[in-house]
Amino acid sequence: MAVEPATELTFGDPGVLAGEDPRDRVAGLGPWRLALRRLRRNKIALAFAALFVLIVLVCLAAPLYADHIAHTDPFKNHLTDQIKINGKLTDVVAPDGVPIGPTWQGRFLLGADGNGRDIAVRLLYGGRTSLLIGAGAAIGTVLLSILFGTLAGFFRGWADTVISRSLDILWAFPPLLLGLALGTALALGGLKIGPISIAGDSKLIPILIIAIVQVPYMARPLRGQVLGLREKEFVEAARAQGAGPLQIMFSEILPNLVSTIVVFFPLMVVNAIGLEAALSFLGAGVRAPNPSWGTILGEGIQRIVTAPHQTIVPGLMLVLTVLSLNVFGDGVRDAFDPRAKVRAR
Amino acid sequence: MRRVGHALAIAALAASAGLGVAACGSSSSDSSTTGGGSSAAGGKTGGSVRIGSTLPDAYDPVMLQTTQANEALQLVYTSLVTYKHATGTAGNDLIPGLAEAMPTVSDGGKTYTFKLRPNLKYSDGTPIKASDFENTQKRLHTLGGPFSSFTNEIVGMAEYVKAKKPDGDITGITSNDQTGEITVKLTKPDTKFLFAIALVSGAPTPAAKSPISKAANDGSMPGAGPYTISIQNPTRQYTLTKNPTFNIPGIPAAKVDKFTVVKETVPKMTQDVINGKLDFMTEDPAGDDLPLVRAKYSNRFRLAANPPNTYWFYMNETTKPFDKLEARQAVNYAIDSRALGRIFGGRLQPTCNFLPPGYAGNGYEKIDPCPYGDPNGPGDIAKAKALVQQSGYAGMQVTVWGNNKDPRPAIVDYLRDLLNQIGFKAKTKILDQQVYFGTVGLAKTKAQIGFTDWFSDFPHPADFFEPNASKASLASSPTSNLQFSSNPAVDAALAKLNPQDPKSVAAEWAKVDKAMIDNADVAVYGNELSTNFFSERMDVDNCNGIGPVYKTDWLQFCLK
Repeated sequence: MAVEPATELTFGDPGVLAGEDPRDRVAGLGPWRLALRRLRRNKIALAFAALFVLIVLVCLAAPLYADHIAHTDPFKNHLTDQIKINGKLTDVVAPDGVPIGPTWQGRFLLGADGNGRDIAVRLLYGGRTSLLIGAGAAIGTVLLSILFGTLAGFFRGWADTVISRSLDILWAFPPLLLGLALGTALALGGLKIGPISIAGDSKLIPILIIAIVQVPYMARPLRGQVLGLREKEFVEAARAQGAGPLQIMFSEILPNLVSTIVVFFPLMVVNAIGLEAALSFLGAGVRAPNPSWGTILGEGIQRIVTAPHQTIVPGLMLVLTVLSLNVFGDGVRDAFDPRAKVRAR
Repeated sequence: MRRVGHALAIAALAASAGLGVAACGSSSSDSSTTGGGSSAAGGKTGGSVRIGSTLPDAYDPVMLQTTQANEALQLVYTSLVTYKHATGTAGNDLIPGLAEAMPTVSDGGKTYTFKLRPNLKYSDGTPIKASDFENTQKRLHTLGGPFSSFTNEIVGMAEYVKAKKPDGDITGITSNDQTGEITVKLTKPDTKFLFAIALVSGAPTPAAKSPISKAANDGSMPGAGPYTISIQNPTRQYTLTKNPTFNIPGIPAAKVDKFTVVKETVPKMTQDVINGKLDFMTEDPAGDDLPLVRAKYSNRFRLAANPPNTYWFYMNETTKPFDKLEARQAVNYAIDSRALGRIFGGRLQPTCNFLPPGYAGNGYEKIDPCPYGDPNGPGDIAKAKALVQQSGYAGMQVTVWGNNKDPRPAIVDYLRDLLNQIGFKAKTKILDQQVYFGTVGLAKTKAQIGFTDWFSDFPHPADFFEPNASKASLASSPTSNLQFSSNPAVDAALAKLNPQDPKSVAAEWAKVDKAMIDNADVAVYGNELSTNFFSERMDVDNCNGIGPVYKTDWLQFCLK
C-alpha cells in the first residue's frame, strides 16, 4: 500500500484524535475523490469489479460467438440435426430426447438443450438479458426510491403517511411471491396504462416488476436520510433565501443522497439479477423462448442427472456475477462510509 | 375425461382449474405385501398391490374427471352398461353391466330401455333400484359434474337444470323399482349416450346415501363394483378392497385382493417402483428417469397410446394467415414428427390421422398415403415455403400459443422455429396451463395457431369430432373448436352417423377423418405413448391391463 505524502496530511485535526486514518484526511480533496482513493486501495473489490466487467464483455460478444464460432442463433432448433465429433456423425438430440453433452468444439461447446439449441450461445444471450434486466430494474428502483423517499421525507405529514404506508404494504409481501403474482398476471395481456402499452412477453415487464418490488428496500432508508437532512442548517439557509421545495430538494437534498445511492446501486443490481433468475426459473419472468440464466436453469432442471451442465453452467454464471457485484458493492460502501474504512484497508 | 377441460362441458373448464394436483411426499411405510394362489391365466390371484399416484381429483363418481380417478373408481362403481375388461381395442366394446342385457333401442334410436339384473346389491348390501339411475343423473347435473353434458340430450334434462329443483323430475327417465326397468328418452337419436353412461359418472349409487345437492368425497357412497373403497386421507392414501359379494357375469373376478394407492412425487414413485416399494405408478417417469427406466427396466416397462389421444396444432381459419388453405397446408407439409418425437422423449407415435389408432374398428383407418408425405419422415420445407409464398402471406407476423406444462413450451418453440423457416415471422405466447384453453378458446383472443391435444372420453368418433371440429361446438365459449370454423363433412357426418353404432359406420367416420386432413383443418403430428411401469412382482406379460378406455384396467392386474 502506497504511503501518502506527508504534505497532504492535516495534523492536529480532531479526526485524528477520534481514530480516523490521517491519510484519508486530505486537504483539498472532496468526498468523491476520497472515496475513489479508498476504493483504489481495495484490491479485492477491484478484482471482482474486473471479473464483472469481463462477464459483461463476454455477454456483449454473444452475436460474434454465435455467428462466427457456433454458426447458429439462440433460438434455432436443431432437433434432427447431426454434427461431426471426432469424425463421427452424432445426433444433436437422440431419438429418446436426450440432448448432446459438451463437445468442447465451436458448435455445441456446452451441448444442446431439449430443443437442440446451442447452450453456450443461449448462455451468452441469456447473460445479456439477465444483466439488462438487472441493471434496468435497479435503475428503476433507484429512480422510484428517490422520488418516494424524498417526497415522504421532505414533506412529511399526509404525503409521508400515504407513501410510507404504501411502502409498508409492498414490503409486507415477500418479493418473490409478489413478483410471481405480478409476472403471471401480466403475462397474458401485458400492461396497458393509458397510452402506454407493453406486451406480455416484453423484457420491460420483468424490469418493471422487479423495480417495483424492490422500492421499499431503498426508499425507506432514503426517506430517513431526507428527514434528517431537511433539518440541517444549509436547508434552513436555502429556505431563508426564498428557495421553494422543489429547488431545495434538487439543489440541497439530492446531492447529499448521492453517496447512499451509489452504495445501494450495485446491491440493487445484484438483487434484481437474483430475482429475475428466480422468476424466470419459475416461469414468471423472461418469457420463452427468450434466454436468460433463469430460464436456462429452469429448462435444464429436468435433466440434472444426464445433463448437469445445463444447470451448472448458468448457475455458475449467476454465482460469479452476483458474487462479483456483491464484493464490489461492499467495496463501494466501505469507500463511502468512513466508519468502515478500517475494514476496507 | 382425460384432457383437463372438455368443449361440451363448459363446467369442466371451470372445474379443471383445480386439477393440477401437485405431487408431494408420502409415507411408504406400509409396504407389506402378500402372495396368492396361481390363476389359470398364468398370474397369481390374491395378494396386495401398492400403487403410486397423484390421486383422484374427486372421489364422488359424478364429480371426478382425471385419468387417475377414472382408472381406480371404475372398479368401485359399475354402470348399466360398461366397457369390456380387455386389453387392446377389444376394450372399446360395451357389455351389460348392472343391466341384464344391452338396452332395447326403439323410437328411431331415441328410446333406450334397460332392465336391471335381478337381486342386485351394492357393496354395503343395499338393494340396487331402477330409480337410482335417475338419482345419479340428477346429481350429475345438479352438482355440475365434468361429464354432465354427455347426457344433456335426455328429454326434460334442460328443464330440470333450469328449474334448479334438485328433487324435480327428469321427464325423459322413467324407472320401475318393482320390475327393474329403466326407460330413457332422448331428444334425438345419439349412440354416444350409451358410451357416456358406461363411464364411472353414469354409475348408479343408492339414492338414500347419495344426496343430490352434495358431493361425497369421503368414499361413503357404496357402488356395485368388484372393489370397495376406503379413504384413509383423501390427499394421501386410499385402498381398494376386493368386494366378496360382487358377481356380475361378463365382468371378470378381481385377481388382486387389495390395492393401496398412495400419493408420491413422480421422482419418488419412480424410485419406489424401481426398488419394489411400489408395484405400479399412474404417472409417467419424468425427465432423466424416463430414458433410464426404458433402458434398464424394459422387461417391466410398456409404452401404449392409451387412453387414445391425438396431438395437433390448431389453425384459426377465421384469421390471417390460416384462413388460406395454402398456409394451413404449408404447416402440414413442414412438420417433422421425428423432431417432435424427440421433444416427447421418444413417446410420440407419428400419425396423419385426426382419430387415434385406438379407434381401430370404431372409425380409425390409417390415411395412407398421407397427403403431406410420410409422417415418419422429414418435413418438406421447400414445398411449405412455396405454399406460403402462394398464400400471399409470406413475412406475416404469427403468434404461436402454448402453455407452460412440460414439454409444451418446447413443442411451441419447435413450431415457432418451423414457421420462421417457411416464411412467417413467428413468436410465441406461453400461458399458464390452467388458463390456456379457456383463453385460446375465446373467439376474441384470435389465437392464430398453437398447441392442442385431445384424450378420448369414450371410444366414439364423435367424442373427437364434435368438440374439436363441429359447428355445434362453436356455440360454446370458450370452445374446443380452435379452428373457429367447421368442415361441412364433419357436421354432415355428426348428423348422419351419430344415431348409428360407430362400428357399423366405421368406414364413413374414416372418410370424415380424411376430409379434415385433406382440408388441412388441423396439423396433426402424433399420438402420445403413455408409460406403464411395474415392479418385479407384477406379471407384466399376462396381466398388464393396458386398455383403451381407462389407460390401465387394474382389474386385470395380477402378481407373478
